[in-house]
Amino acid sequence: MSGHEFHPLVKQLLDGDITRADLPAELRAEGEEALHLLAGVERTAVSMPAVTWRVMAALERRRRRFLPWLLAPALAIAAALVIWLWPGTPPPSASLVTVRFVLVAPEARQVSLAGTFNQWDPQATPLVRAGATGVWTATVTLPAGQHQYVFVVDGARWVPDPGAPAVDDGFGRRNSVLTL
Amino acid sequence: MIAFVAIPLTLLSMQQGAGSPVAQRLAGRVSPQIAALVEELGTGASARGLPIDPLIQKAIEGSAKGIAPERIATALRLVAMQLDTAAAALRDGGTQLASDTLAIAAGEFAITAGLSGSDITALARTGADAAALTVGLRVAGTLAALGVPPAEDIGLVSVALRSGEPASSLLLLPATVQSEIGRGATPAQAAAGLARAAAAQARHGPPPGRGGGNPHPPHPPHP
Repeated sequence: MSGHEFHPLVKQLLDGDITRADLPAELRAEGEEALHLLAGVERTAVSMPAVTWRVMAALERRRRRFLPWLLAPALAIAAALVIWLWPGTPPPSASLVTVRFVLVAPEARQVSLAGTFNQWDPQATPLVRAGATGVWTATVTLPAGQHQYVFVVDGARWVPDPGAPAVDDGFGRRNSVLTL
Repeated sequence: MIAFVAIPLTLLSMQQGAGSPVAQRLAGRVSPQIAALVEELGTGASARGLPIDPLIQKAIEGSAKGIAPERIATALRLVAMQLDTAAAALRDGGTQLASDTLAIAAGEFAITAGLSGSDITALARTGADAAALTVGLRVAGTLAALGVPPAEDIGLVSVALRSGEPASSLLLLPATVQSEIGRGATPAQAAAGLARAAAAQARHGPPPGRGGGNPHPPHPPHP
């Protein structure tokens, strides 16, 4: 067989893709020869020496023993990511109320709202001046509940809402109260 | 196996240290000293079934207002004490609401506004459910902030809670009192007047044109 190369059609015959009848007449002899050679191939199982089986078994045991160790970091990282990224319990849904805040401050250059609803951030909720009247307004949608707030005038003065009830803020000042 | 356990534990501890709910909300907003105090007070409050949000809010508020850390710490301890008082008052009211963090926070606000533990207990004894009592406590606190004395305040809110008024009606009380004050009534007079009207309404039903249908319609006129 060494150096012998069958015609591609003969190879197809050996692969079972075509039959003898499909071969052209000039290739039939080559096809018969190839089939004859194939029939002579011994099809009995090849036995492996016992030592080979022991080596293979040992390798398989080692592979099985190391598999969890190889997978562990990946699984651990995956588990940690799930813990890390898993969203917390969603907050209970609360009904929302739209509120308009108004402050008359003709001299102010800038007015904003700071309160429990915006983490007391004086930059978070600016009011808009309505024309030249000195009336500043902001419309905010808040969850139903109790909120405390103040106006922050010119970024420095924390002023309670003159039109709303107020409570002691614990620091010697007053917070306005809004209950929705 | 060590890697299997160690990596998640390491990441989990990182998450809990830098990413605990309290730490996350306070990050960059308060000084480390105040953050540590809130963690400490919050851990104790949680163990007693109290809400921690009022503590976090007070810490953020104080820092945003530029208050000195010592004064913020005093305010935080006061909030923690008021949360305990509110929870105890709700327990004394014989309700199951001593474990309801929203009701406790509402009670703490009422105390901040000037009401006492016994006022909260009185409202808890109206038998209102958790949602209604929470709204009632917030409204009572708001009325106190308007200057309504505790007796008239609790009288008005108790009548409203006992008559089963919906939350939307309870929430109108401060504006109505404010409106009466604007017409010249004192806060006490405004609240007492509204309480009398509410009590009468509870006895005789709503006035014509308000509320549901009349359960006792008048007899038809004689022919």
